[in-house]
Amino acid sequence: MEEFLNFSRGPLFRLCFAVMILGLARILILDIWAAVMAYRKAGDKTLPWGLIISRSLEWLFPAKRLFHNRPVYSVFSILFHIGLILVPIFLFAHVQLWQSAIGLAWPTLPYDVARWLTISTIVFGLALILGRLLVPSASFISRKQDYFWPLILLIPFVTGFICAHLSIAPQTYQFFMLVHILAGNLIFVLLPFTKIAHCVLMPLSQVVGTLAWKFPPETDEAIATTLNKKGAPV
Amino acid sequence: MRTRPITPEEKARAFKPTKKPDVIEKQKLDVRYHIEEFDTGDRPRRFLEAFAAILKHTNYGLALDHFIRMSAKCSRCATTCQVFQATGDPRDIPCYRSELLLSVYRRYFTVGGALRGHLGGGGMDLTDEKVQEMADSFWNCTACRRCTLECPSGIDHALITHLGRFILSEMGMAPRALVVSTREQLEGQTGNTSAIPVPALKDTLEFLEEDMLGDKGVEIKFPMDVEGSEYVFFPAVSDFLMEAETLMGIAAVFTATGDSWTTGTGYYDGINYGLFYSDRILERVVKKIDAETKRLKGKNVLIGECGHASRSAKYFLPAYCGGDKAFPVINIMEYTHKVWKEGRLKLDPTIVTQKVSYHDPCNIARQRWIIDKPRELLKAFCPNYIEMTPSGEDNICCGGGGGTVSIDEIRPYRTTVGGKLKADQIRRAGCEILVAPCANCKKQLRELVEDQKIPCEVVGLHDLIYKAIIFDKPTAGSATDNQHDKKGE
Repeated sequence: MEEFLNFSRGPLFRLCFAVMILGLARILILDIWAAVMAYRKAGDKTLPWGLIISRSLEWLFPAKRLFHNRPVYSVFSILFHIGLILVPIFLFAHVQLWQSAIGLAWPTLPYDVARWLTISTIVFGLALILGRLLVPSASFISRKQDYFWPLILLIPFVTGFICAHLSIAPQTYQFFMLVHILAGNLIFVLLPFTKIAHCVLMPLSQVVGTLAWKFPPETDEAIATTLNKKGAPV
Repeated sequence: MRTRPITPEEKARAFKPTKKPDVIEKQKLDVRYHIEEFDTGDRPRRFLEAFAAILKHTNYGLALDHFIRMSAKCSRCATTCQVFQATGDPRDIPCYRSELLLSVYRRYFTVGGALRGHLGGGGMDLTDEKVQEMADSFWNCTACRRCTLECPSGIDHALITHLGRFILSEMGMAPRALVVSTREQLEGQTGNTSAIPVPALKDTLEFLEEDMLGDKGVEIKFPMDVEGSEYVFFPAVSDFLMEAETLMGIAAVFTATGDSWTTGTGYYDGINYGLFYSDRILERVVKKIDAETKRLKGKNVLIGECGHASRSAKYFLPAYCGGDKAFPVINIMEYTHKVWKEGRLKLDPTIVTQKVSYHDPCNIARQRWIIDKPRELLKAFCPNYIEMTPSGEDNICCGGGGGTVSIDEIRPYRTTVGGKLKADQIRRAGCEILVAPCANCKKQLRELVEDQKIPCEVVGLHDLIYKAIIFDKPTAGSATDNQHDKKGE
């Protein structure tokens, strides 16, 4: 058990974390590269930066449109995301691990804040799954991964909470810690290849959407030629 | 804003088949709009060929790659969509509609999809039924882009629907109403979507000039083919048949300011159905505007009261006709607002006393282009102006957007489903006059208030301006006369 635990948070963690970083870097670079190519092809090179930036910020810090549609879902989703982002990065125990491994440290969350954020993430995560199951318009368009993701994201939160807050036997502690680390590693590996890629792609959405409407010139003839329809009547 | 879903009776009326069974059998396609005869063989393969050709020469791939990587299926778009809210049919959820095309893209144009497709034993393959579902679904959408505004992931569902319609049109599956009009515009004798020949155009405008002289006691002209004009005018050509008051209002404003403007007899149609179903058509029509403005040595392209005409010129003239060297495009409301601000246009606030409200056409408001200017104008001379909510960039579509208004056979659908939320909004606002500065919105809203029995008159902005405009001095020797002199030179 002890050895497997060490392996999981040692070499296995390093591998999984590297997969995540490289995977995210890959899709980010592909996305930016495609955007640059689209810009070069576009006939009209003016981009409405004011609109793009304001709409991007509206969604990165969503407050403006929160209550327009599905207000309960929207608020739950945001509360879920806050804990999801903050706790893994700024938990004291995690920062300590980074410090002992690579010597880097950064500010951490106070104990109580971390605890409440963990609880809220678990509660709102479960509420989101429930909402997806019960709201017909949401369940109709849901895929398997849409149910799977909140579930798997909650595993490290639940196990982490157990390890940090419950007085349990060392054997049990090790078991939960192992599940905590393995689930975390699994998340790192899957993240770049699934919808969770939105963690790096989302800031680019408005630029991408705008660029896609920037049509290249002379496409009429080019497409007609490819489809063997040149000169064909309307 | 929410609405109750339509009743089963309303649904039966809205979706009543308009075609004979033998036509459906022949087309192997039971969609609500008419399609001209087309090659029905091997549709999935031809769909993919068209898709591949379009991806090769355009920028859609960028957006599709981005969207398939991050679509989170949160279903927020469902509560925004006026079509889904009216039908309650989950297949009308924007995200579901987008997924129809995204799944094809994922399966055939990504490595992962190709692998899974081979392993999955054909379950994900494109079939005739899926093509049929897309042909039906993409024309339920009014392309109003409200869902895009509410998508946390920024997924542009309207872009995907636009692309889907483009691919289908390359297979010959576009609504006949749009194709026939476009054919006349690009290949016909008259060169415009309403098939108005030049002599008829001249007759109409002369008739309006006489009318205006009688009305206002002022000589108001529609200058034709005046070279070197500041503004070359392209209204939705149907305005010449149906929106005389709007045109008279515009002519009156120019008479009051004395600025030079002209309508070219070479080409005088702002309508561009390409925006609704084909980028290839979009490009060809935009180039006609460019060519006519060049021919007349004009300085600016002026689009009349029409949302999609304004958007297709403003955003795609630079794309297809020289980038930043393309002619500047302005909408007539921008011009009128400008001259009013400069004090060159005076409006009498005692004429229009009814309760007036303003409807934002999606194509000019959604991207925050023209929102406040018409409101400032209206508030200046309509003492009983009221605002509808939501408005501006969040405004609710009239229900006839995306070209659907021109498809006459689906009027029951437009006025029961597409426009239901708008009808609720108009009713609640309780306005007597609704200003809709868009040829499409006007036609749809008139049909909507008629079918839904709402006591409200739908007009253009310049219809009201025509009523309220004040002329300072007699026009002898005014700018319009000068323009005629120039023409004679």
